[in-house]
Parts: sequence; structure tokens; C-alpha cells
Amino acid sequence: MEAAELLNRGLRDRTRALIGWCLGVAAYIALIAAIFPSIEGEANFDELVQDYPEALKSLFGFSGNITSGPGFIDTELFNLMLPLLAIVFAINLGTRTLAGEEEAGRLELLFAYPVRRRDGVAAKGLALGIEVAIFVVVVFLALLVLDPIFGLDLPLGRLSGAVVGLGLLGVLHGWLSLAVGAAHPSRALAIAVPAVFAAFSFLVNGLHELASWLDPFRFLSSFWWIGQSPLAEGVRGIGLVVVGLASVVALGAAAVLIERRDLEVP
Amino acid sequence: MAESSAIETQGLSKTYPNGVRALVDLDLRVERGEVFGYLGPNGAGKSTTIRLLLDLIRPTAGRAAVNGFDTRSSGVDSRRRVGYLPGDLRLNDRLTGREQLDSLARLRGSADAALRDRLVQRFDCILDRPIRELSKGNRQKLGVVQAFMHRPDVLILDEPTGGLDPLNQEEFRQVIRETAADGRTVFLSSHSLDEVQHTADRVGIIRSGRLIDVDSVGSLRERSLRHIEITFAVPVDPASFDGLDGVRVQSTEDGVVRLSAPEAAMDAVVKVAARHQLVDFVAEPADLEEIFLELYREDDGSR
Repeated sequence: MEAAELLNRGLRDRTRALIGWCLGVAAYIALIAAIFPSIEGEANFDELVQDYPEALKSLFGFSGNITSGPGFIDTELFNLMLPLLAIVFAINLGTRTLAGEEEAGRLELLFAYPVRRRDGVAAKGLALGIEVAIFVVVVFLALLVLDPIFGLDLPLGRLSGAVVGLGLLGVLHGWLSLAVGAAHPSRALAIAVPAVFAAFSFLVNGLHELASWLDPFRFLSSFWWIGQSPLAEGVRGIGLVVVGLASVVALGAAAVLIERRDLEVP
Repeated sequence: MAESSAIETQGLSKTYPNGVRALVDLDLRVERGEVFGYLGPNGAGKSTTIRLLLDLIRPTAGRAAVNGFDTRSSGVDSRRRVGYLPGDLRLNDRLTGREQLDSLARLRGSADAALRDRLVQRFDCILDRPIRELSKGNRQKLGVVQAFMHRPDVLILDEPTGGLDPLNQEEFRQVIRETAADGRTVFLSSHSLDEVQHTADRVGIIRSGRLIDVDSVGSLRERSLRHIEITFAVPVDPASFDGLDGVRVQSTEDGVVRLSAPEAAMDAVVKVAARHQLVDFVAEPADLEEIFLELYREDDGSR
């Protein structure tokens, strides 16, 4: 398939950016992990956290005991920071590769070649998936290496699940960005729609237990399906399936939508 | 199966969502081995036509076929044996020329490496520097190479010589002539008749989205008006020229008479002039640019 060149090109053009992101996230994880020994087993710390306002605790996942390794990494990394990084990484990529290329006028020559548009979008989606996978594998390896150094005691099975959930979260928002770019040639929209969805998902997941009117909306939250404490409580298998299916639907929509409109040309 | 035309459109129309009628009811056939010049001022609908032919944008009415394949229902097949040079070429700035050409060759799945190397040599392309460092002309040369390098049956070139220096323009014309001699087809858009008159067999003129004339370059030239300036030894009555078919007297001052006349009237003009004593006789060679303008004016008058 000729579009394989798109996959190859997409990945090679991004090598430096990808390395930068991976080094950055690994450094951030190391920084957080290095703090852990100083609060490990500090009972006062758990008590301190218990006095935080409910909304704050709920939003930022101060649920279990954050002085254990899994509880600490959940709260400091998997609750917000890592999903945020993975989603920003994926949305940025999804926006550049389609809406950004179209606005720069570079899709004209590409689709004047004997390349089916949906194949082109699928190749770009696949490239995005591979990059996100590399990103979360780096997260996984970083935690695996740091675990014995700082005594985190992370359960390997749950860590694997957490990383898969993180990757799916990134892919879902990245492919959503592709779908928006496929429907309409606007970088701004391709960023805004998945970003608003991510913010909505985070807030609903964090607050639905406190604000009952939000409760019915939890099914629409990507964060809720993955869960807030993947290391302390594990991710829900059904959640991974739902987010995975939603991602495939988003990419399928992108492939259909790109065929249905005029290409924007310079 | 009878061999299909290289390019064929029927009632092809494009109205943009903002209501602009960029192309209205275009019926056009371009045969194999032909170089077809597609002329019109900027914004006339040339690029719109080309983008419809490549299925980059979709017609609001009518249909188009390239190499016998419908551009909508068999889009990939219709583009397979086509080389395209966009009017506003955007390449991947981070790649070198060589990487860009290699990438495009893989994207197409077929390329003739020997042919590409010959083209690169003829146009003296810079291959080893990142494209962002290249001048417009040097980028355009890469665009020309990618359009020709897989030996396509149909070439669609949108304002191709922009940025090329005169030497490269001549080389480019040579490549077009060779392509046509090879039985392949070139569809060449331009806003300047001068740019295509050396290569095109036929010329189509488009204005405000409508094809207003298709003619051979030769007969366009025949229809063109000559500008004649005759200096007589003594002032003469210009009325004797005014009566000639197609001749118009532009001005008369002292012994100098300025006329415009079609090729067909040249004999009569000279014979009338010869009745008097001449000091000078200047006839400017056919300027196709002016017929082009003349056609625009005629079209304006008819509305």
C-alpha cells in the first residue's frame, strides 16, 4: 500500500520531537519518584490530606493513602499529570498531521497522488498510535527502573494496565483531533474540540460523586472509564474496551469525513 | 475499447458554498499527444478546473474523466498515470530535495530512477540541501521533476514556469515538446499566452468560470490585429483605409497614420498605402497577448 510511505514519513519527520517528549516525561517521573522516600509512611501526611476540601480531594484523587508507593504515584502521576501529558502530546500530533498540513497547503500534492484519502488518514492515525505507544512504553520503563531505586513497590500487572489505559486515553483524544480535522480544515477546532472534551472528562470524573447532577454524565467521561487510581485499585477492563472502541469510531469517522469534502488549498 | 481522451469533461461546474460560480458548464476534450494551453486571468477558474480534474475538490454538477477514469468514482485510477505540478507548490521544508523526491516516488509506488536522474540533471536541481533553504525557482524545479519522473500519460501543470529562470523555462518547453512527441498529453494553465504559445497546439480561454474560446495557436495568431504605422511624404486622407474590412484607423497626425488590421487585410492595406509616396511602414508582429485582451473585451461587450 502506497500510504505506507505516509506512515514512514510521518514517524521519521517526528523523531526529534518524540525523543524530546519521551526524555521530558521520563525526567518528570524521576523527579516525582525521588520525592517519595521523604513522605513514605508519614502518617501525618495522610491526616493532612484528609483535611483538604472534599472537592479538591475528589478532583485530585487524594483517596487512599498517598504515603504508599501505588497511592503516591496514582495521585501525583496517573490521576492528572500523565493523562494530561499524553493527551496534549496526542492532540498536538493529531492536529499537526492533518489540519496543520492542510492549512500549510501540503495535502494538495499528497492527495493529487494516487492515494485514497481514507488510506492517508488511516496511515496518519496509525503513526499517531505508534507514537503514543512509544510514549507510554517510556512511562512504563521509567517507572519500572525507578521502582527499586525509590522503593515504590508498584504491582507489575496494575502498572501494565495503567499504562495501557494511559495510551488509550491519548489515542482517543488524538484520533478525535484527526476526526475534527477531517470534518473541517481548521487547526483551532482540531485542538479545541478534543481539549474541551478532555477537560470535561476530567472534571466530571473528579466531581460526579459530589455533584449528583453530574453523575449521569460520567459515562461520557473518558477519564471515568479508565479510573482515577489504576495502581491502587486497578483499571477496569470494560473501561479499556469502551475507550478503545470509541477511539476506533473516531478514526473511522475521520476516514469517512475526509472523503466527503473539498480539500482546502492555498 | 476505443482509446479514451486524455481529459474529458461534461458540464463540469463548481459553485463554492459562498455562492461564487468558479466554473460553469465546462465541456472540454483534450486528446492524447496534445499540448493544451488553458488560459485566463487570475481567478478565472483555471485552478478550480485543475483541482476538479484531480478530485481535490468536488463538482457541483457535471463530470470529468482523466485517462478514461471518472475522477469521482475511480479517483485513484484517474490519478495513477498523472503528473501534477500545483500552482502554489508546498513541499516538506525539512527534507532535502533528494529525500522529498524519494518520498514522493515511494508514495506513488512507481518511479523511473534513470528518468528522474536525467530530469534532475537537465534542470540542475539542488538535492542535498533542505528545501527550506531553497529559492522559489529551485523548489519549482523539484516540483517539475516530481511531476515528470514517473513518466505519466497526462501532465497537469498549473502555472508551471513561475520562478524558473529563462534557461530553465527553455528546458521546460523542451521537456513538454518531448512529452507530446511521445504521445503523452500536457495540460498547461497560464495567465500569459506568451508562456504557452511556443508549446501548445490548442488554447482554451477561460474567463469568469466560462470557457469562451478554444482555438489553435496558429489561428489565434491569424485573428490577431497588427499594429501598423505608415508615414507618408504628404498627409493623406485616412478614409481610404477605413473602408477596408476589419481595419480601424487609430490616429492621424500630419503624414503619420496608425491602423490596426487583421492578417487577412494586410494585402489591401499595403496596396492602398502604395498609391501614395511612403517614408516609412512599420507593422508590429502579432502580439498574442493582445488578442487575448481582445477576446476578453469581446466577451465583456457581449454581456
